[in-house]
Amino acid sequence: MKRNKRFGLSVLFLTMVMILGFATFCMASGTGTMPIEQPAGNTPEFGNLYVIGWSAVNFFILLALLYKFAYNPINAMLEQRTATIEGSLKHAEEVKVEVEQMRKETQANLADSRKEAQDIVGRATKAAEDAKTEIIAKAEENAKNMKNKATAEIQAATEQAKIELKDTAATLAIMAAEKVLNRAITEDDHKKMVKEFVNEAGDLLC
Amino acid sequence: MIFGMWDSPFFDLGPIPVDHLVFTEWVIIALIGIIAFTATRNMQLVPRGLQNAFEAIILWTYDFFTQLMDKEHVAKKWAPILTAFFLFILLSNYSGLIPGAAHVQGFQPPTSNWNVTMTLALITFCSVHVAGFSEHKGRYFKHFVSPGWAMLPLNLIEEIAHPLSLTVRLFGNIFGEEMVIAFLLFMAPFVIPSAIMGLSLLLGAIQAIVFTILSASYIAAATGEGH
Repeated sequence: MKRNKRFGLSVLFLTMVMILGFATFCMASGTGTMPIEQPAGNTPEFGNLYVIGWSAVNFFILLALLYKFAYNPINAMLEQRTATIEGSLKHAEEVKVEVEQMRKETQANLADSRKEAQDIVGRATKAAEDAKTEIIAKAEENAKNMKNKATAEIQAATEQAKIELKDTAATLAIMAAEKVLNRAITEDDHKKMVKEFVNEAGDLLC
Repeated sequence: MIFGMWDSPFFDLGPIPVDHLVFTEWVIIALIGIIAFTATRNMQLVPRGLQNAFEAIILWTYDFFTQLMDKEHVAKKWAPILTAFFLFILLSNYSGLIPGAAHVQGFQPPTSNWNVTMTLALITFCSVHVAGFSEHKGRYFKHFVSPGWAMLPLNLIEEIAHPLSLTVRLFGNIFGEEMVIAFLLFMAPFVIPSAIMGLSLLLGAIQAIVFTILSASYIAAATGEGH
């Protein structure tokens, strides 16, 4: 919309220029009466003090206006801009330092954590090793105890069996002897024979 | 059309006559003032639009003079007056290109009159010596007799030649340009003068820059270490 308006205005302006130019051309060449005066040199008067004075005054007025509306505000703005940029840069530097600090802290924390984790793993491994050793020792002891107990029981049972066998053998021998001799023997014979038999049987058995 | 037709009093302000070109100067100064006021009325930290353009002009001239003068404190002190020269001369030169210049009453391009260019050159002349004296104090006057007393007349002529050359250069260029355009308008009023008017746009800017640069270099020379 804005562009169309600008385009229209420029077309209008160019048309006006063309018409004016054409009109002057026609007027200059058409009727023969020159509407434009012939230029005639008239050097300006030199040393017109009024013009010199006015020009000087005007120039200093211009200078004052420029100071008021251009140099002073622009200088102030430049200073402000410099201050802002410096502030921003300083802030950026501070943030950078802070970030660096944080990074260092994080790294330190990370290293600590890693070390702690290693410690924990080390401790756990050591505890596990200890537990293993203890369990194995306990198991060995138990096994040893059980073995000893079993050995003792077996020995006791063997002794018992031996005694019982001896008694049974004695009874059997007496009964056999009674049958063979078929007579009563004295107590002394009896004992003597039993003893001999038992000893022989014991030697045979053991 | 008669040149210098309006080089005459337009009206009287009390006992003082006001020439047509003085009135034009007022209009130009008011225009610069209004632009400056509008540009800096509502200053923003991040410049936009007119403020940006105006700041760019002021800063560009400031940087330019700083580079030209070497001494930054001198440039800072004298850049405002040189920028004012530039803006005033530029708009004065361009005012001659506006239709109706030197035809309408109270509309005479100021720089096509050598009283005005001489005033500007005299302001430069005073600025140069004030700058030199404030920078070097008493030692400043030694350069008039350097390398020896015999050179005093030549040195003085050189000092006077500076404002004279500034005056005549600016006046001659703008007056000549105005004259050429006027003659062309008389002889072939359609299309052809536009070529010269296009050149005049360039000429007006160049003359404004030349006047300002020469003033700056005179100030730089007066404040430089050569003295």
